[in-house]
Amino acid sequence: MKGTIHVVRHSLLSRGMKYLIVLILLLGAGMLYLLSTASANTTLFATDVRLLLALGLLIVLGLMAVVGYQLLALRRRLRARLFGSKLTLRLVLLFALVAVLPGALVYAVSVQFLSKSIESWFDVRVDKALEGGLSLARTGLDNLLRDLTRKAESMAVTLSDVPRPQTLQALDRLREQAAVQEATVFATDGTVVAFSGNEQAGLMPMSLPAAAVRQVLLQQPYRSVDQGPADALLLRVVVPLNPAEGQTRALQLVQAVAPSLARDMSTVQTMYQDYQEISLARGGLKRLYGLSLTLALLLALLSALVLAILFSERLTAPLVLLAAGTRAIAQGDFSLRHPVRSHDELGVLTESFNTMTRQLADARAAALRNHEELEAANAYLQTVLAKLSAGVLAFDAEHRLRSANPSASEILHVELDALIGIPIDEWSARQPDIAEVAQGLQDAILRGESQPWEKQLELSGSGKVLLMRGSGLQGGVDGGFVVVFDDITRLLQAQRYAAWGEVARRLAHEIKNPLTPIQLSAERLEHRLVDKLDGQDAQVLVRSTQTIVKQVAQLKGMVDAFSQYARTPETRLQPLDLNQVVREVLALYEAQRLGISVDLQEDLQWINGDPARMRQVIHNLLQNAEQATTDRDSRWITVCTKQADKMAMLRVSDNGPGFPPDILARAFEPYVTTKAKGTGLGLAIVKKIVEEHHGSIEIANLPGGGAQVTVWLPVFGPNGGAVVADNAKSVEL
Amino acid sequence: MLFGPLACWAVEGIHIRSADFVPVENGYALEANFDIGLTTTLEDALVRGLTLVFTTEFELFYPRWWTFNVWDKTVTERRIEHRLSYNALTRQYRLSSGALHQSFDTVNAALAVLGRVRINPAVRSKDLEDDKVYTAVLRLHLDKARLPKPLQVDALASHDWDLSSDWYRWTFRP
Repeated sequence: MKGTIHVVRHSLLSRGMKYLIVLILLLGAGMLYLLSTASANTTLFATDVRLLLALGLLIVLGLMAVVGYQLLALRRRLRARLFGSKLTLRLVLLFALVAVLPGALVYAVSVQFLSKSIESWFDVRVDKALEGGLSLARTGLDNLLRDLTRKAESMAVTLSDVPRPQTLQALDRLREQAAVQEATVFATDGTVVAFSGNEQAGLMPMSLPAAAVRQVLLQQPYRSVDQGPADALLLRVVVPLNPAEGQTRALQLVQAVAPSLARDMSTVQTMYQDYQEISLARGGLKRLYGLSLTLALLLALLSALVLAILFSERLTAPLVLLAAGTRAIAQGDFSLRHPVRSHDELGVLTESFNTMTRQLADARAAALRNHEELEAANAYLQTVLAKLSAGVLAFDAEHRLRSANPSASEILHVELDALIGIPIDEWSARQPDIAEVAQGLQDAILRGESQPWEKQLELSGSGKVLLMRGSGLQGGVDGGFVVVFDDITRLLQAQRYAAWGEVARRLAHEIKNPLTPIQLSAERLEHRLVDKLDGQDAQVLVRSTQTIVKQVAQLKGMVDAFSQYARTPETRLQPLDLNQVVREVLALYEAQRLGISVDLQEDLQWINGDPARMRQVIHNLLQNAEQATTDRDSRWITVCTKQADKMAMLRVSDNGPGFPPDILARAFEPYVTTKAKGTGLGLAIVKKIVEEHHGSIEIANLPGGGAQVTVWLPVFGPNGGAVVADNAKSVEL
Repeated sequence: MLFGPLACWAVEGIHIRSADFVPVENGYALEANFDIGLTTTLEDALVRGLTLVFTTEFELFYPRWWTFNVWDKTVTERRIEHRLSYNALTRQYRLSSGALHQSFDTVNAALAVLGRVRINPAVRSKDLEDDKVYTAVLRLHLDKARLPKPLQVDALASHDWDLSSDWYRWTFRP
């Protein structure tokens, strides 16, 4: 389905995006850890906090971009009114709220707590105590230095009196007395004149600083505290040594501060400096913590948003799928099945949706199958109705025509489709040709609508006889009734013919038998009695017997004609020249001088016919014409043949009285005759033969008086003959 | 060669006064002089116990103009760190580089020593080719990345913590 698939495929978060988010979140977590450890100087890998902050800012910006992108995508989906987008928005807002409120609260409290707690570190008393400690240590050192200076000055005074060669011994002694670690006499150029040290002193004296030399030259003492290895502190004092003779020298005394004291002093100093450093960094520390917290808050909020969108989408995804499925079903597509991914309620819902879809699909398939079967049955019924030779008319309860099969139109010679939906009583107005039928139907219906009825209707116009049967359709949905009718004209005729044939056969049989004895008896009577009677009686006898014989002969002829009609021989069709047959028959009539004019078309196609039967047709027709014109003074008979399309036409006309109107319609029925002596079988036989030749016959009265009989016979042809022969068989069957 | 303002009065920042190579036994020594003046913020921080790390960076390279100087050939590269700290107990400034250290009574004495840069040898003769013209760059600056992190945050916002000479470039023909 075009509208649904892209909904399913469209996702706010592609796989790559998800990885990106996970990466950003991991980076953010790492950065936060580093930031949180930044205040303590235990650096993990980076000392540069600026880099960390920049990285954090970058991550936040990245997350913001991701969130912005997602929100934009969500907005697009909202604008497009995609299903599930509103739910997603609501969930996102909900998640965001759930994340933001506690986050903001914790942030506010933390910042407040942080600044307060950092401030609380810096106590004036601690400050004072540390400063006091430091100055105590300094004073202690100063005292020690002063002490050492006094010793040095007294040593210098003593040494200045010692002659130069005894300097070393004096120095040794003096150092021992003063309990100093190291004593050295330098020349002002820095060279060692004498050196004495106890077991703690090194092998070499400590060198003289340049500043000390300057002081000594200015006759000023020089004091300094040097930092030895570890926490050791070395006190150094240099005083001028002015010997009685010679140049000024410098006396340097070096004394280590007692280790425990030095350690304590060092501790105080370190603590003081640490404290100072921290107090110096207090603003920065607050800012750093603030920044870290803000970054953490932003990261948390943004990750919450990202995750909110992620989860919202995951939550709404099955709903979107279901919506797509619903739409697909609404559009008639039952093929969509959604994979069940979760085992929660949504999974169950999806599962039941799938089941429903499957059932719907099954139901629809079944309905479709039923429909198809019904249609097939309907079509079959339609075909049957169409092929049915009987006419079928279906009416609704208001007597309106609902349907008619082609045969009905054919029988009634009316396009019945035009009458569909029109009540019967309006038919006459629309189709005057079937007024009689309509009237007959109406009568029948009025008489007994619901009961099955049967009625024979003779149409005055065409002389057709229709047999109609009707019955109500109470079982149906909306009532109505159906009328089945058949053109039984031919059937009736055939029945009549058959009946007449039977009569004729019986008559022939029953009458013929006594005729011969009658004739023979009459002849015998005449033969025996004619000599015994006198003239007049004999004449009567002769005349009477002759009449009997003659009448018997005539009767015989009549019986023969009957039997001939009843037992016509089988027709054998073969190619036949109609003109030839006409000429042969006419030759018989030449002697009678009937004044027959002949007009034969020379290139008449041969017909498919039985020569003997055709001869009888022509013979019968000529005989009729001859008999009809017997009383006429100027009588004429015309015989003509003509080619008419695929038919050969034979026409016999005369100037006799013509057919009386009452006879005209039934002229072909047996025993219908105008002649006093006719059997009434002539035209019947003609018609029978013509029909056996698959031809047709028509009679008419000529305008100026006289009758005209026209016969059409199919010509023999390569196609026509064979086709007609087939038809003949089927007709005979 | 004359460089920058002469340090007749206390200056803030680091300015190079002179820099040149001096031929020595097996190559050339670099001798340079910087005028260094701490900002009050830095001085205060120093007195309060902060250790300042100064870095001298020197590089000699042969410029390759045909690579748009992207891949210059570095002949030598040196990076020397000095740590300046104050001992509140002894009231001395202490300048140390590696295991060596010196103590000074005043900060200016310490800075003067710090400003006298001598790298011996800076370049070995065997690394140099006679017919080439080399480019040398030199700079001395306070390494802010070595400050405690809270102070780095401060340094982000303030120039008081910026202490750096510009890169000084000069050509050198052996």
